[in-house]
Amino acid sequence: MADQGLEGSIPVDLSKHPSGIVPTLQNIVSTVNLDCKLDLKAIALQARNAEYNPKRFAAVIMRIREPKTTALIFASGKMVCTGAKSEQQSKLAARKYARIIQKLGFPAKFKDFKIQNIVGSCDVKFPIRLEGLAYSHGAFSSYEPELFPGLIYRMKQPKIVLLIFVSGKIVLTGAKVREETYTAFENIYPVLTEFRKTQQWYGTHLDELQEGMSFTMPGLPKLLLHRCTTEVGACNCEYMEAGLEVVVAVRTGWAEVGSF
Amino acid sequence: MATFELYRRSTIGMCLTETLDEMVSNGTLSPEIAIQVLVQFDKSMTEALENQVKSKVSIKGHLHTYRFCDNVWTFILTDAVFKNEDSQENVGRVKIVACDSKLLTQ
Repeated sequence: MADQGLEGSIPVDLSKHPSGIVPTLQNIVSTVNLDCKLDLKAIALQARNAEYNPKRFAAVIMRIREPKTTALIFASGKMVCTGAKSEQQSKLAARKYARIIQKLGFPAKFKDFKIQNIVGSCDVKFPIRLEGLAYSHGAFSSYEPELFPGLIYRMKQPKIVLLIFVSGKIVLTGAKVREETYTAFENIYPVLTEFRKTQQWYGTHLDELQEGMSFTMPGLPKLLLHRCTTEVGACNCEYMEAGLEVVVAVRTGWAEVGSF
Repeated sequence: MATFELYRRSTIGMCLTETLDEMVSNGTLSPEIAIQVLVQFDKSMTEALENQVKSKVSIKGHLHTYRFCDNVWTFILTDAVFKNEDSQENVGRVKIVACDSKLLTQ
């Protein structure tokens, strides 16, 4: 992403962004009321870069190249502008569309312009244990890897939805002002570092080996020897919580524990 | 069979229309027959393009303007390249008008 390179050149205000990462705004959705009835077919016939297929959708879809955006224009005079990368760009684009409508002979105004949604994204540049996060933040998290690979985190304050991916890529949506996006990210960042995936393995020597026995290792929660097979000489034990993997060599009694 | 009147604006269609106009105005052809000829022309063009033309052409260019209204796509391309099996040609500005022939059979 281009923004990551930008961060290097412009110093980040750490009082505003303690994590040192500033989410990049990817999409702004805004609405405005042109406050006049519109003849959509006339608009589609006269304006450039317009689509109108009333059988499929009751609005003219129009695009401009600068700022690169798409507008949905309804017969009621209401308009939705999407695709801008900043609030100012979204407003500028909406003004340009209103001007196009005016030039076609409609008495278009520019009433009640409002930013409806801001989508931002960033990359924390470390992998995340989504199972662990979902488990400890159960009230806010929905993680169904068979349905969607990301964890959906519904933050209450600010009211922002975050999509958190194993790769460390984060999407933040639902903000009306960009500060909500930034606050939500600063709120989640310590949680992400807590559930950072490490490839580290810990080792210890066990004097006895028995299914159901528990043992401890420095820096890890209590471990339980869940399953132990002796035929192969080494056994693979699944672990109950926090996504830890335990491998115990039966012959030597050497146990290795790692997170995956 | 319903047909589009799309091809009347082509060079061959314009020539036919001019000729028919001339014949109608000097009295060698009745206006009714002239209309009938044009309708036949629409049918023949559609049929010929459907059944007798096998070659394929690809058109690639910068999309300057597009429009979709009344089930007609209009594209204006700049710096387009027309390519077929054995030749290619550069064109500064092209207008493409396209209709969905499936709509006629519905």
